Amino acid sequence: MLLTPNAMSARMRFGLYTTTGLIALFLLLPIVFIVLLSFGSSQWLVFPPPGWTTKWYVQFFSNADWMDAALSSLKVAILTTIFSVALGLPTAFALVRGRFPGRELLYGLFTLPMIVPLVIIAVAVYALFLKLGYTGTLFAFVVSHVIVALPFTIISIINSLKLFDQSIEDAAVICGASRLQAVFKVTFPGIRPGMVAGALFAFLVSWDEVVLSVMMASPTLQTLPVKMWTTLRQDLTPVIAVASTLLIALSVLVMVIAAALRRRNEMRLGVAK
Amino acid sequence: MSAVINETAQPGKTLVSLRNLNKHYGDFAAVDNISLDIKDGEFLTFLGSSGSGKSTTLSMLAGFETPSSGEILVQGQSLVNVPPHKRDIGMVFQRYSLFPHLSVRDNIGFPLSIRKHSADEVKKRVDAMLKLVQLEAFAHRRPSQMSGGQQQRVAIARALVYEPRILLMDEPLGALDKKLREDLQDELRQLHRRLGITIVYVTHDQEEAMRLSQRIAIFSHGKIVGLGTGFDLYQNPPNAFVASFLGNSNFLKLKAQGNATAHFGNQPLAIRLTAGLHTDQDILLMIRPEKAQALSVDQAAASPLQAGWNEVAAKVTEVLFLGESQTCSVVTTGGTPMTVKALSAAGMPLQAGDAVRVRWAAADACVYTEWAESDLSKGAGVH
Repeated sequence: MLLTPNAMSARMRFGLYTTTGLIALFLLLPIVFIVLLSFGSSQWLVFPPPGWTTKWYVQFFSNADWMDAALSSLKVAILTTIFSVALGLPTAFALVRGRFPGRELLYGLFTLPMIVPLVIIAVAVYALFLKLGYTGTLFAFVVSHVIVALPFTIISIINSLKLFDQSIEDAAVICGASRLQAVFKVTFPGIRPGMVAGALFAFLVSWDEVVLSVMMASPTLQTLPVKMWTTLRQDLTPVIAVASTLLIALSVLVMVIAAALRRRNEMRLGVAK
Repeated sequence: MSAVINETAQPGKTLVSLRNLNKHYGDFAAVDNISLDIKDGEFLTFLGSSGSGKSTTLSMLAGFETPSSGEILVQGQSLVNVPPHKRDIGMVFQRYSLFPHLSVRDNIGFPLSIRKHSADEVKKRVDAMLKLVQLEAFAHRRPSQMSGGQQQRVAIARALVYEPRILLMDEPLGALDKKLREDLQDELRQLHRRLGITIVYVTHDQEEAMRLSQRIAIFSHGKIVGLGTGFDLYQNPPNAFVASFLGNSNFLKLKAQGNATAHFGNQPLAIRLTAGLHTDQDILLMIRPEKAQALSVDQAAASPLQAGWNEVAAKVTEVLFLGESQTCSVVTTGGTPMTVKALSAAGMPLQAGDAVRVRWAAADACVYTEWAESDLSKGAGVH
């Protein structure tokens, strides 16, 4: 409480509001632009739009290629989410609870994909799958996305597992639950916020991933960002703005769900505000 | 209610035996060759500072730690290879450790649900426990909506609902404030009396240990250095460490002159008859501050020394008023500091710098022939 409104001079407050507003504007403007353009009547993405229309949306939803790409994106994102959580959970337990040499090193290795430039991972994975003949398959998409999504999932599960008092799990064990039962009945509910956040992160990482996806894509299987990328190189149709708007919309939806879940969880556990 | 009363308790019989129990972490012996019999139905407290091995011993009883060697026997049967969830032991943790996502009712019912009791049975027994810990009105609350004291009562109810043979309590009141702690101590004592269950309680608070337990085991450096009732351990500590750990004590270093006399400097003092002392052997005398008296020179002249009492000359360094009692710190002519404690009602008309005579009955002073210098300081046993 260093800067209570009373302690702040009016001028300082004005400066603070202005800067905050400008930063928010800077971050939001591209999104606002693209959403507006998707409803604009101009073929050439003119701003401000000369008129308003939903015909680009009609085009998008009636075009099998776009729909296929959107569905593929959804499929890849959901599978990536499932595998990231399934792999991330036991990894997080091992990294938090385990007492073995090399634990720190292992943590470093698991989070490495966050630091290594994406393009390097993409080239490496592409070379491998090319050799194995897996490029352009759903398998290749999911595996490559899990590589970059897993660190986010692991870190958010680790964070809630570290906060979770292990004596609560011990209490369940002494009450008669086997260790596995205790983990499922007590620890998982306890770290659910971290698991949900980890799942959403994985989903979002996969949902707007483009570098790996461009490498993995084939004419028959591509995700929405890849389809946008390839379309963009041929012509600048407002359908791309529609696809962008839909990408943003789903991301926002996921964030809203996350916020709602967090609120509900806080209410459920009665966390004081 | 009768469902939770331990009707099979056989007071006085041994329920749990620890035999030569060890727990090593590398070179460090957290628990060092402990042997102890826990009687059926008793309230036994493990008392010690942190790192003394009391919590590790409790953990081995619960099954969360595996002994490096030694045996844990319950009615003659080894527990060492029984996993914690099959030991039929109840445990209350320091931080309550309630299940945050479950209501009070579901928390208490958890041990029964996991044992697949019928819903009716669970409800009946949870109701009985809620009544026992007086939380009927809170059954549907979440743990986070309750005070610390209420949460700990839920934890106790959850630990008792499946009628375990033994209840382990790991500093369960440590996080509560003093007043609440005393209230819960009274509740716990009554609960123990009503249920007749065997309770093993861990604390570092000696007043709590005294208040609650029938017997106290004092832990230091992984060993049990004193075992007995609070009264015996306080009045006749088995060694200088226990004397200094429990309450306050004055230590005087003497040289024995036969079995009933010793020299304090040049002054002969009467000591408790102690067998096996040889002349000029170093011995340690321990006098509780409240067993000693401080008299002004005039008072001392007016009341002759009774038979079996000792008197040493000293000078007052400080007089402290503590409400119901007063303490008077003095230094003897030989330079040994002592403290005398008296009830305020008795009065102690002394001031710093006054010459005083300190008196005590030889029968009230304990004699030790072996001790370590570190035993004599309060902080002993803390790593």
